[in-house]
Amino acid sequence: MTSQQWADDRLMAELGEAVRAARAVPPEFTETGKAAYTWRTVDAELAALTFDSAAQAAAVPAVRAEEASPRFLTFAGSEFTIELEIGADSIMGQIVPPEPGHVDACPATGAAATAEIDEIGCFIIVPLPSSPFRLHCHTTAGVSVLTTWITL
Amino acid sequence: MGMVSGPGRTRTMQGIHGPPAALRRPARREDGPAMRDDSPVAVLVSRARDGDRQAWDTIVDRYAPLIWSICRRYRLDRANADDVGQSVWLRLVDQLALIREPAALPGWLATTTRRECGRVLSAARRQEALGDAVDAADVPDGEPAVAEREVLAAERHAALREAFTHLPPRCQELVGLLLEDPPVPYADISAKLGIPVGSIGPSRARCLDRLRRYPAVAALISNEIPAGGDPE
Repeated sequence: MTSQQWADDRLMAELGEAVRAARAVPPEFTETGKAAYTWRTVDAELAALTFDSAAQAAAVPAVRAEEASPRFLTFAGSEFTIELEIGADSIMGQIVPPEPGHVDACPATGAAATAEIDEIGCFIIVPLPSSPFRLHCHTTAGVSVLTTWITL
Repeated sequence: MGMVSGPGRTRTMQGIHGPPAALRRPARREDGPAMRDDSPVAVLVSRARDGDRQAWDTIVDRYAPLIWSICRRYRLDRANADDVGQSVWLRLVDQLALIREPAALPGWLATTTRRECGRVLSAARRQEALGDAVDAADVPDGEPAVAEREVLAAERHAALREAFTHLPPRCQELVGLLLEDPPVPYADISAKLGIPVGSIGPSRARCLDRLRRYPAVAALISNEIPAGGDPE
């Protein structure tokens, strides 16, 4: 019943397109995607991005882009929010409500760096991690929150 | 949950190597042979969510061409395309547990890719044009129809590639040769495969018929019929 749908020539043309589309993809492009799976089981609550000053700027075309203006990000988890100010060579952050602990800045590939979160919830990460990265905050009270991926 | 193992919470400034999950590999399923996976995308998504790395790899193989082609349409250079691809897959890993409608994955991937392409382009523009007004207008994404077509084509292509890998080897060889560009003369195909020139046409028809009957392809075809009976 289906035999006359998609006559041979059309089928060949579609198949050719399909094969070429797959051949065009560099193998490393695909490998990077496969490697992303190693992040699957990070066992922490995910804090979602609720504010990004860069997104605001992009949405308002008339705004002049200030060369060195920092970028502000807010991530909200159920226990606390994470406020970030990304400058040219460092990240200043604060968790609200304040709680001490430590934060890992984890790039997608390569080594993570750890910084302390002080009594008023502040931390500083120097230098900037390589993009993309995410922050994993651990409080001494035992709460663990992971931001979604941050791209610079 | 060991990002850092042990109590050594004293500020270790040197890094931890790699993501934590690398330490405890998800258990590989023992049932089912390691073979090409022709499961519907919804099944792959739920298996990947449960720790089946092979299902994840299949998803990536199947849809990397979609992400790549969108990057090309946005004219991203190689480095930016890599950046976008990585972000999209990392986001998907985070979302695996939250996806409500796994069958809609290709659409989600396309949307996320376009958003990432837009981000990369405006970041590049911000760096180039110091103090210039940002023009966010030149993203090639005007009509949703383009986006829609792109996703449909990706699904069609994935089904066809999968069907192709399920053809008998002789068919794969023949159809592969017939797809070469520039075309391989029939005489050469005949010599290569050891079949008479006169049987190339009929063999091609038989192979394509098998392709058409492959479930994923048959489903595509039958979904298309309502679009007003193909006159061909």
